[in-house]
Amino acid sequence: MVKKQRITTAVATLLTIAYLLPVYWMVATSLKSKSDIFNSPPDLVPSPLSFDAYAETVFGDGAVWQGILSSTIISVPTLILTMLLAIPAAYGLARFSLKLTGAIMLLMLGAQMLPSISLALPLFAIFSEYNLVDTYASLIIANIALALPFAIVILRPYMLNVPQELLDAARIDGCTTFGSFVRIALPLMRPGLIMAATLTFVSAWGEFVFGLTLATSDDMQPITVVLNRFVAQFGTQWGNLMAVSTIVAIPIILIFIFLQKYVVAGLSEGGVKD
Amino acid sequence: MTTAPPLATELRASDTVRATPGRKRRKKSPRRLLNYLYVAPAVLFVAATTLYPLYYNVSLSLYDASLKNFLQGTLEFVGLANYQEQLANPAVWNGLGVSLIYTISTIVLMFVLGLSLAVFFNRSFPGKHLLRAVLFLPYILPTVVSANIWRWILDGSYGLVNYVLMSVGILSEPVFWLGRTETALLSVILATAWTMAPFAMLLLLAGLQDIPKGLYEAATLDGSSKWQEFRHITLPLLRPVALVVGLLGFIYTFRTFDTIFIMTRGGPGDATTVLPVLAYNEGFVNFELGQGAAINTLLLVIPTVLALIYFRATKKE
Repeated sequence: MVKKQRITTAVATLLTIAYLLPVYWMVATSLKSKSDIFNSPPDLVPSPLSFDAYAETVFGDGAVWQGILSSTIISVPTLILTMLLAIPAAYGLARFSLKLTGAIMLLMLGAQMLPSISLALPLFAIFSEYNLVDTYASLIIANIALALPFAIVILRPYMLNVPQELLDAARIDGCTTFGSFVRIALPLMRPGLIMAATLTFVSAWGEFVFGLTLATSDDMQPITVVLNRFVAQFGTQWGNLMAVSTIVAIPIILIFIFLQKYVVAGLSEGGVKD
Repeated sequence: MTTAPPLATELRASDTVRATPGRKRRKKSPRRLLNYLYVAPAVLFVAATTLYPLYYNVSLSLYDASLKNFLQGTLEFVGLANYQEQLANPAVWNGLGVSLIYTISTIVLMFVLGLSLAVFFNRSFPGKHLLRAVLFLPYILPTVVSANIWRWILDGSYGLVNYVLMSVGILSEPVFWLGRTETALLSVILATAWTMAPFAMLLLLAGLQDIPKGLYEAATLDGSSKWQEFRHITLPLLRPVALVVGLLGFIYTFRTFDTIFIMTRGGPGDATTVLPVLAYNEGFVNFELGQGAAINTLLLVIPTVLALIYFRATKKE
């Protein structure tokens, strides 16, 4: 039995490696010298390691830094504002029997399914009426529009699971409604909060359509759009392209490594039990 | 990434946990109003950034709104002329066709991959949780990154796919996957399914675990084979989850813009010009906002109708 399980683990590991091979190939290619990339048969492991692609794209070109800066300026406020709006909303939708709860949840579910491109066009028109096109504000607003419904939908079940008795007890002990919310409810739903925050950041960092349509000048564009510019510029200089792709992916991969417990457990919440 | 799973989470949560427990006393009305204050900022924000733009989109689609007209404030009301023009536009019908082929093929591939992985991971072995989590990476990678990886892997001259297929003898000469009309669509389908399959796996795994173990034990006692169990227990009982995967898969694939835009820009020719790419070209390349808005409306109608049919059908069941 144990032996059979070990074999299953081995097969599962091979399957997973095979499935993630494209990601490995991106990193491996980014670490090869220009000529090694075109070797046939291709080298599975880059040797010798070459950081030329990174030197050329990151240190030779300000665009990558500018893109990372823009993406940070967009993602961090998106994260903070989304959470500030989503937490009380999820609390209200879970705790109180509001007449409109059903309609509001339907709005949130519907909103997170909208195609970005269908929002981008009217948002572009609306923002240009207020002279907001090509500002960070417009990009932050558009990103919150994508992330907020999603965050509320994630957080509400966690709020529902906070026992009312605990909140009542805190009230009896002299907590205000707000006090019991901050001291009892928030700590209890930590996994949900981490998950909502993580996925909000992940979606804002990887966002492309709004960056492409709302940031019209080069120095406003998030790193995803800078990467798209490189596709046109570098064409088939795969080492450079994979280096920039790796840089775009690194924050997401790091978050994934450190927080995957929350991300995957959270995404499967209510379903996958063990 | 595309943000999908919470729907499933929410559907399940609402199945099991009904609204607020232990609140029998009716609160007085000022207090009830006060409760809405928690919810109001978020609802107003979402209404302002999704409902209002949708309304704006529909109204824009009724005007002759080139960017120049728009910026000068000289919009001319043209009624349904933009829709008439787009419905007579062969590019729209081509886009609809490409969109449907792309969406349906991606769902099928995503489903087969996702179900295979789910069935495999639905047994217990050491390291299962870690591996299952790691498999999730393609789903949360930024789409620009995964699209670029696939551009490189499918490259005609030095791509990994050509190398492997040629060394095992399936291909005799390199294929320029993204440069040829016949293979470009297949390539973007493959790339999209690769990112979506972990999501399908997650939902299907949840569905598999909801199937009572006793059914399998009974079937084994009756002497049925693994395949018979899969065919007569797993598949039928997985149907509700499979439908959710299909519906969400449709909604999230039908709207895909970035993967295709990065990989092919809709080309070669119009071989991969799905409706979202067409809407982008009309609105942001030709700067015909009114025409783009009309395509946007079409883009929204199809998944909405499908979702309504689904909810009708599930209500009856």
